[in-house]
Parts: sequence; C-alpha cells; structure tokens
Amino acid sequence: MQEFLQQVVSGLAVGGIFASLALALVLIYNAMGLVNFAQGEMAMLATFVAYALVNRGMSYWIAFPVALVLAFGGGIVIQRIVIRPVERAPILTLVIITLGLATLLNGLAGFVFGYVPRSFPSPFSAQSADVLGVFVSYRDLGVIAMCGLVLLAVYLLLQRTTVGLTMRAAAHHPEASRLLGVQVSWMLGLGWGLASAVGAVSGIMVAPILLLEPNMMQSIIIYAFAAAVLGGIESPLGAVVGGLVVGVTINLAGAYLPFVGGDLQLAVGLAIIIAVLIIRPNGLFGRAAVRRV
Amino acid sequence: MTALLELDSVQAGYGPTSVLHGVSLSVPAGGVVALLGANGAGKTTTLRAITGGVRWNGDIRFEGRSLRRMSTEEIVRRGIAHVPEGRGICTELTVDENLKLGSHLRRDGAEVRKDYDRVFEYFPVLKDRRRLSASTLSGGEQQMLALARALLMKPRLMLLDEPSLGLAPIVVRSIFQIIRSINEASGVAVLLVEQNARIALELSSTAYVLEVGRVAVHGDSAELQGNESVRRSYLGY
Repeated sequence: MQEFLQQVVSGLAVGGIFASLALALVLIYNAMGLVNFAQGEMAMLATFVAYALVNRGMSYWIAFPVALVLAFGGGIVIQRIVIRPVERAPILTLVIITLGLATLLNGLAGFVFGYVPRSFPSPFSAQSADVLGVFVSYRDLGVIAMCGLVLLAVYLLLQRTTVGLTMRAAAHHPEASRLLGVQVSWMLGLGWGLASAVGAVSGIMVAPILLLEPNMMQSIIIYAFAAAVLGGIESPLGAVVGGLVVGVTINLAGAYLPFVGGDLQLAVGLAIIIAVLIIRPNGLFGRAAVRRV
Repeated sequence: MTALLELDSVQAGYGPTSVLHGVSLSVPAGGVVALLGANGAGKTTTLRAITGGVRWNGDIRFEGRSLRRMSTEEIVRRGIAHVPEGRGICTELTVDENLKLGSHLRRDGAEVRKDYDRVFEYFPVLKDRRRLSASTLSGGEQQMLALARALLMKPRLMLLDEPSLGLAPIVVRSIFQIIRSINEASGVAVLLVEQNARIALELSSTAYVLEVGRVAVHGDSAELQGNESVRRSYLGY
C-alpha cells in the first residue's frame, strides 16, 4: 500500500509536468483550432534559456521567472512573425508550419547548445519526507506545488481578469468580439505568449529528471497530447485532470505491470490516446460537437 | 441638424460580387433611422461597411471624420455599437461576462455601475440570469442581452441588424418599445435594419428603402407609411 501511494505521488508530479504542457496545447487549440506541434520544442528552448541564465550565476529562483517572461515574449513574437501572416490559411497549412517550427527550434537549440545532455539543477532537496507513513520526495512535492501554482495562476488570469475574459471571447467568437472593441489579433498573440510560458514550466520542471538536450521534450509532448485528448482538447480543466491521470497511469503501469517497465511507458501514453479516440472521442470534459446544418 | 453618420455613395461587396452600388444616407445625432428593403438588398452589408467588416469605396463619416482604413476595433471605440445579424452573443460565456465585454473599454467606473442599473431596469430578466451561460437564454432574451451589451458600450450610435428576427410578435413589441425608451432617455442615435417594415416605420423618424444596392426611396417615416404605392411596391404590406 505504501509503495502504491508513493508511486501515485510521483505519478502526480510527472502528471503536473504533462498537465502544464497539455494546458499550453489547449490554450492554442482554443484560440485557433490548431494543435501546436512546436509546443514541446518551444518549452525546450525556454529551458535552455533558464539553463544559460543559471550557468551565468543567476539564482534559480530569479532565472525561473525570467525564463518564463522570455518564453512569454518569444511566444508573442512567434505568433506575430510566423503565425499571423498565415492565420487564415487552411488548418493543414498551419499544422505543417508548426511542424516546421518544431524542426527549426530543435535544430536551433542543437546548433547553439549542442546535443550533449546536460544536468539541470533542481531547487528541491533530493531527500524524502515522511507524510503519514508514506515517503515522498521533496522533488516530487516541489514539482507538484510549482505546477499547481502555475495552473492556478492561469485559471485566475483567464477567469477573473478582463484580459482573460477578452482572450476567451476572442478565441471563441472573433467576429463578435471585434464589434465589442476587442483587439482579436493581439489576444491571439497573448494566447501564444501565455501558452509558451506555461509550456516552459513543464520543460524546466522535467529537465532535472530527464537531462537537458534538444530532444528532451519529444516524449513529454506525446504524454501531453494524451492528456489533452483525454481531457477533451478544448477544456483547460480537462488538460490538467488528463495530465494527472496520464502521469499516475504510466507510473503505476511502469511499477506494477512487469511487461511495461520503463521501456513501454510511452506506449501506454499512445494507448491512452487511441483508447480515448475510440471510446470517448470528446474526452472527459469535452462537449460533443453539435453543428446545425 | 448636423449628421452624426454620413454615407456618401458607398460601394461595397464581397470579392468580385458587388452588393452596394452607391448608397448615400445620413443619421442625425439622437435620431432613429430605418433601413428597409427585401432580402439581399444590401441592408446588412451597409451596416458591415460602417464598422469595417467589408471593403468599401466612397466615403463614410462619423462625427465628421472619415472611417476610411480604420479597423473594426478603432471604429467601435469611437462610439458605434453594432449588434450584428444573429446577435453576436458569446454563448461560451455567462450573461454577466457578455455584459462585461460591453463595458470592458470604459474607465468611468461610477458611470458604468449606473449604466448596469439602468440596463437591468430595462431588462430585469438578465439580472436574474447573470450567472447562467448565455447559451441557456431564449432568442428574445439573447436579443435583450445583445442590446444591453451594446448600451454598456455607451455608444453615440447603435446599429441594429434585424432585432425582430425569429422572435414572437409580442416579444418584438416589447423590444421595440425598449429601443424607443433607450433612444429617448440617453439620446443615442439608432440605425435600424428591418424586414418588418411596419414596426420599423413606427419607431423611426426617417427611413431609407434599399433595392438591389441602391436607395430606391427615402423620406419621412410617417409619409412613407401613408404612401400607398411605396408601401405596396417596396414594403410589401
């Protein structure tokens, strides 16, 4: 039982990481009906920025928010320069562009930082704490707390502020929003910035576990897709719940199903995507698309 | 009286298809003007041209300044509230959030609160449903929400595109009564597009009748109402 609970807690920690990246995917999907395949690479690049800052002697707790701000700005720049000119293009064009962007960012990181995996600092102690008889590591608790904070901040921004309100309105009803004076194009830019910053959190949290290199996020993005699809791709809350469920599931599968082990965890993530798409295509929190014809 | 809004031989269309072939009209400050005509005459396109939703030639002036090359957002911020065809309600949001979108650009907090009180006086049903999703409202209630939201923008001109569409006659009556009280109380000018010519002529002081992208007749609403041949040939009643 004790080991089971420990597996659940560390599952929640990786789940928080998946949830952050899944939320980034959902933010952009909501804003323009587009799955951003470059989201993981954007997070990876932001993590390298944080790494460079820490390496120059900046304290982790300053480098972390600075990297998020830079990721936010970078997201806006990408939307303005790469996405905006093709905003009205067919969705397939946009998908190809995000794939190209992913390749470009991956190559850029490799060119600047090289492909040698680097260890990334964790601000949390590697020790464990005894919580009601269950040993949980401070690292897991720290990751859970950081992801929880960020997700809460995004929730408050979207639900409780005027900017959040206009962002949601612009995403769902661009024409009507324009007539109310909402600057729809800038709201899309803000959406990309926000998604980029939220995604960066997942990169910075996962780097101490995986080692930092340009391909670091390529498995994480699969889990994030699984989480987003499980949550219903349109629902921010669904992305968070989906992330936690996927994290706990792959952790338990790795620990208790001998044939899964550490090698087939990614396959479990893909199996979740396929299972959700077959059994419940709208996910846990999605609404069935009803279209009047 | 100086005109609040002036259209000067406006031509507009969608791609190669031209819809307006030189429409001129004017709306005086505080006035109510009806824009009538059959389906496809260009009524909606005229409104869309005013708020920059379609490309146009000619000139459109609001408070004496040309709206040429202005984006929809800029035009709206100058004081034109456009309630579009289909009402433009954000059904993903609550009633309250829709109202907030109307007032989100205003910085005069105290006035905004007074305007909310006023709006809830006109439409008490919205106050009861503030926290509900706008998608749960009936068609008439959605029209009320669209009007309320437009009012909260504190416009000097409201463009209303078929407020009667799809509503029961009794609901149409009450909505038009409210439009009249709003116009009388706050002096906001109204440019009203309607298929229901009879009720639009009762509300307005001047009317323009569009026929395939041109103004066919215009004049005093009461006169048009009394003119048998105009009524028969253009208004269909």
